[in-house]
Amino acid sequence: MSRIASFVKYTIMIILAIVSIIPIFWMISGASRPYAELFKYSNSFNIHLFVPVHPTLQNFKDVIFNERNPFLTYIGNTLFVASIVTVLVLLINAMSAFAFAKLRFRGKGVVFALFMSAMIIPGEVTLVPNYLLMHNFGWLDSYKALIIPSMLSVFGIFLLRQFFAEVPDEILEAAKIDGASMPRTFLRIVLPAAVPPMITLGLMTFLGNWDSYLWPLIVINDDKKQMIQVAIAAFSSAEGTDWSKILAASTISTVPILIIFLFLQRYYIQGITMSGVKG
Amino acid sequence: MNGEEMTAWWFVLPSFALLMIFVFYPMLQAFIISFQNYNLVGGTRSFVGLDNYRTLMTDQSFLASLRHSFYFAIIVIPIQTSISLGMALLIQKKVATTGLFRTIYFIPVVVSTAVAATVFKLIYNKEYGLLNNFLELLHLPTTNFLSNPDTAMNGVIMLGMWKAVGFFMIIFLAGLNNIPQDLYEAAKVDGASKIQQFFRITLPLLNRTTAFVVIITTIDAIKISGLVFVLTNGGPNGATETAVFYIYQMAFKQMQMGYGTAAAFILFAIVLVISLVQMRLFRNQDY
Repeated sequence: MSRIASFVKYTIMIILAIVSIIPIFWMISGASRPYAELFKYSNSFNIHLFVPVHPTLQNFKDVIFNERNPFLTYIGNTLFVASIVTVLVLLINAMSAFAFAKLRFRGKGVVFALFMSAMIIPGEVTLVPNYLLMHNFGWLDSYKALIIPSMLSVFGIFLLRQFFAEVPDEILEAAKIDGASMPRTFLRIVLPAAVPPMITLGLMTFLGNWDSYLWPLIVINDDKKQMIQVAIAAFSSAEGTDWSKILAASTISTVPILIIFLFLQRYYIQGITMSGVKG
Repeated sequence: MNGEEMTAWWFVLPSFALLMIFVFYPMLQAFIISFQNYNLVGGTRSFVGLDNYRTLMTDQSFLASLRHSFYFAIIVIPIQTSISLGMALLIQKKVATTGLFRTIYFIPVVVSTAVAATVFKLIYNKEYGLLNNFLELLHLPTTNFLSNPDTAMNGVIMLGMWKAVGFFMIIFLAGLNNIPQDLYEAAKVDGASKIQQFFRITLPLLNRTTAFVVIITTIDAIKISGLVFVLTNGGPNGATETAVFYIYQMAFKQMQMGYGTAAAFILFAIVLVISLVQMRLFRNQDY
């Protein structure tokens, strides 16, 4: 009985695994075959449905060296914005989290409650006023519109505060007696003690920015400045039939992120777990 | 103000300024704009009182977009929650293979919305798509989910679940790991079956986690937009226009900023009420 049960269990697990990765696997294999071959094996179930008969890198070359759709530029743009946002999110929100966790100041409770109440305000409600704000600041079509409003992470403050609270007060006292200033204590003692949650928040922020679609679609009009997700969506509707290239572009924008994830997944998943349990 | 207090304020100031400028001030603005007829192109702006809200109540495409969002939520909440809980149970026991399966199940979460939607567009294709290929193999009728108004939303739903179950699986996994093992030991001694253990121990003790998952799923489902933008662009025939998609169309395509913002406020009110009700429901079941 238990052998049957475990057989059933593993069968289900494997089916779920196949469903999870087949689309990605198929995207990568489709991107590495000539267009003529892409649909040739689609009506049969044999190995060539997933394994290219004549593997080629031509689609990737076409996409990367395309004048009209410079995918490396889009990836560069997105890398630039996402990296800056990630660094700033970590710095700015860690500072606040530190103040909320370890410093005493009047109004702390009220200010913290204000931050937490912002969690229930969905970005969709403030979409129009934020767009108008960018319009008034003259930031439309510039990366300021993507970077500056994204620097705040209320969730990040919430997450890091839990960790900073666990740093023993005695260490901070000792640093104070040794004459270290508060910013110095923060940089040298508190931040190094919180590397795992910082990696977590950094990864979440980076992936979130890599994935962001609606906001860049609204505030960036210049094609050359566009972010990768908007570019991919536009590319796939413009080149409607050239599926090999569409798959190549999708693969180029996905594989680097998957690799980063595979290396750092422990932290990323840990971060999600923490946000879930505390919720 | 003493030194520590000064330092604390300097530490909080950058994020506090961002909070005020990009969250609370826009929220206030949104409230004001929702009572205005605000056209960005014409530069016209006039106070119209509750007109936007009144018109929205009878606006058939807005009501339809809300219905689509709700349909998405009602289908997704039970199915996605059960699948992700099932997945968590499958990989809960720590053996060599579970780490691998956990990683595989989580990969769709990392794939970006635009890429996932683009690839699924092709997977759903009637002639060449992987899905229909598979249906044919099982001698089931083939269909192009996305070009039929009756099934297009289901196509969006399947993609949405494919992308999200891994995320909630991880949250359930965290919840499962918090249940003390000796409860199961005791139940086993008392002769409780696996099924009894699940309903008497696992499910009740997962209450808080389940509440979190259901609330987040509901909010995400009602605010669904990204998938729709790329996968169907609201079509066919408006069948997959969701509330956020409608707000975007009104505010940024038709440039009716006031009208779009009023719609956003209605959506916000709905989301708020639903999550408050859910929180209350789950709290009452506390043990």
